Amino acid sequence: MKKSIKIPALFLAPAMILMFIFLILPIFASLYISLTDFNIYSLMDWTQAEFVGLENYAKLFNDEVFWKSLKNTLYFAVVGVPLAIFFALSFAVMMNKKDVKGKEFFRAGFYLPSITNTVAVAVIWGFILNPNYGFLNWILSFFGFEPINWLGNTTWAMPSIILFVVWKGLGHNIILFLAGLQNIPAHLYEAARIDGASKWQMFKNITLPMLKPTTFFVTVMTVIGYLQLFAEPYMLTEGGPLDSTLSVVLYMYRNGFKHFELGYASAIGYILFILIFVVTLIQMKFRREQ
Amino acid sequence: MKKLFAVMLVLGLVILGTAAVSAETITVWGMGEEGKNLDEFAEKFEEQNPDIEVEVQAIPWANAHEKLVTAVAGGTVPDVAQMGTTWMAEFGGIGAFADLTGYLNDSNLEREQFFEGSFATNEINEKIYGLPWYVDVRAMYYRSDLLSEVGYDNPPENWEELKDASQKLSEKGEYGIDLPNEDEQILLPFIWQNGGEILNDQGEIIIDSPEAVEALEYYVSFFEEDIAQTEAQGSDTIQEFKTGNKPIFFSGPWMIDLIKDQAPEIDGKWSVAMMPEKESRTSFTGGSNLVIFEGSDKKDAAWKFVEFMSQQETQKEWYEATNALPANQDIWQSDYFADQPMLEVFGKQLEDAKAPISVPEWEQVATAIKRRMQQAIYGDSTPEESISNLEEDIKGIL
Repeated sequence: MKKSIKIPALFLAPAMILMFIFLILPIFASLYISLTDFNIYSLMDWTQAEFVGLENYAKLFNDEVFWKSLKNTLYFAVVGVPLAIFFALSFAVMMNKKDVKGKEFFRAGFYLPSITNTVAVAVIWGFILNPNYGFLNWILSFFGFEPINWLGNTTWAMPSIILFVVWKGLGHNIILFLAGLQNIPAHLYEAARIDGASKWQMFKNITLPMLKPTTFFVTVMTVIGYLQLFAEPYMLTEGGPLDSTLSVVLYMYRNGFKHFELGYASAIGYILFILIFVVTLIQMKFRREQ
Repeated sequence: MKKLFAVMLVLGLVILGTAAVSAETITVWGMGEEGKNLDEFAEKFEEQNPDIEVEVQAIPWANAHEKLVTAVAGGTVPDVAQMGTTWMAEFGGIGAFADLTGYLNDSNLEREQFFEGSFATNEINEKIYGLPWYVDVRAMYYRSDLLSEVGYDNPPENWEELKDASQKLSEKGEYGIDLPNEDEQILLPFIWQNGGEILNDQGEIIIDSPEAVEALEYYVSFFEEDIAQTEAQGSDTIQEFKTGNKPIFFSGPWMIDLIKDQAPEIDGKWSVAMMPEKESRTSFTGGSNLVIFEGSDKKDAAWKFVEFMSQQETQKEWYEATNALPANQDIWQSDYFADQPMLEVFGKQLEDAKAPISVPEWEQVATAIKRRMQQAIYGDSTPEESISNLEEDIKGIL
């Protein structure tokens, strides 16, 4: 019996159409725009935009602010991803123990920041990090530390952002690791205990290997997310003292929506796309070889 | 019978509804403090014009620029909007505004009633794209009590005195002055006061001049000598003014009421003075105009509103509500401000004030100035390098 494709197609149609209009079409449109000099004058009159080929990309290559933003974003990802994975895994393992009291409380406590609106949380963090009236410096003063201007200091601004973003994303990754942990068959641990394995040996030889798929997934998603860092520096530092917290997406936003250089901004967007694509490919290759 | 009654009821309601809605509704966008106060004036306008309804939307300054860009690009512009003077060229230059020359000719308002500098911001390619709404200019706020303790019974009048006074103040207290490390609106006056400028009359870029370098060196020296705070993010100007940690700062007339509200303890211990002199005492003037969007289909009604806000009476009431300086000169020439010495200072400063160059790419230029001045202040580059880099930046932008 040949099943007609008409009914399923009909059900899929609304989603497909929406996806096409709001996702597929803009992706190709912005590719085209990145090859033009679309700017403020073109806003009112599209015909004013001229096709300039790869000129935007060439300009980007010579743009020292762009390279700074790229460096910042990579610095953020290289430090942030391991921190996020380490803490999420540690907390998930700790929360997975049978005799943990208040498991629900911890689960909620970690997950709440994840689902709270970034903008609102950023405002509060801004207060916490305030050099004169902020909570963090107040606590540190009891240990004898001089107040540091966390968001105004070129050295400390990015670490502050890293701290904020890692903290906020913990809950989401913990849930994923918890699910992975709970999928590990209990008899593996029992067998190991009978064989006299230590806790650390069990962790290294059972937990970690069995978690590989979950770890891989969390790592790839976190990398992709972190390379697109935007909301936190936008809210807290607007690119930070001397562009020290300027991320690629923030730079793209500044060029596109503040300066109206939409052709240039589209080019930045595509460079980022290629970067994320390549990084993810590398990660997948790495995984396949294991 | 019941059905007929029901139909008649619905029909009746619909007709009543349309009658109420047949009043024209114009949307007005106001930013910051102004947005909050516009409702009151909208009501007054509606009383005088019962067939026009005014819908006010208050938009915070932080998002205003992006909102305007999106609206223009998407065709969802309001009928009337407040437009900062520095944005006139940007949006006007791409044809977003309606030409008001015809309306102005038929109106009782005249160009001469407004400050020339403010009116000029509305003129693009010899067409008039808005009316000045209110003006602002920056002046020097100072703690008179703290200054007299260091030997200054009168506020510093020139660059040397400003440096000397703030240095003495910083030795006594924490800092001597509140200078932002990335605000081109505070740096530019110093450059102008020394005779520097971004563009000359022919439109050539002349920012890289000894005068501009000297001005930046002067500005940076405050940070180098720890008279001003380099990493000042998170500091509250009024708080620091109140405690005396930063007893001098530059800002506009809106601070007068804010200081009175938030720091009543120092009443009588502070005042305002004109910018210190080098070659001149030029300050930064901004303000807002009212514009009607080309994409509006209710331009006539919109014009009535704009006209209303520009009348001398309304301008006076607007000042009383918001402390925003009227753009309508008639009020200044009357005795209205005579017994308000602080306002008189602003009035005098308005006579020696400049607006930055009126180009659509101003936002980009402002970003470049902010970046280069921060580099000089943080010590990443010398003032000389910063200014010459800035010239390169601006050449690339314009």
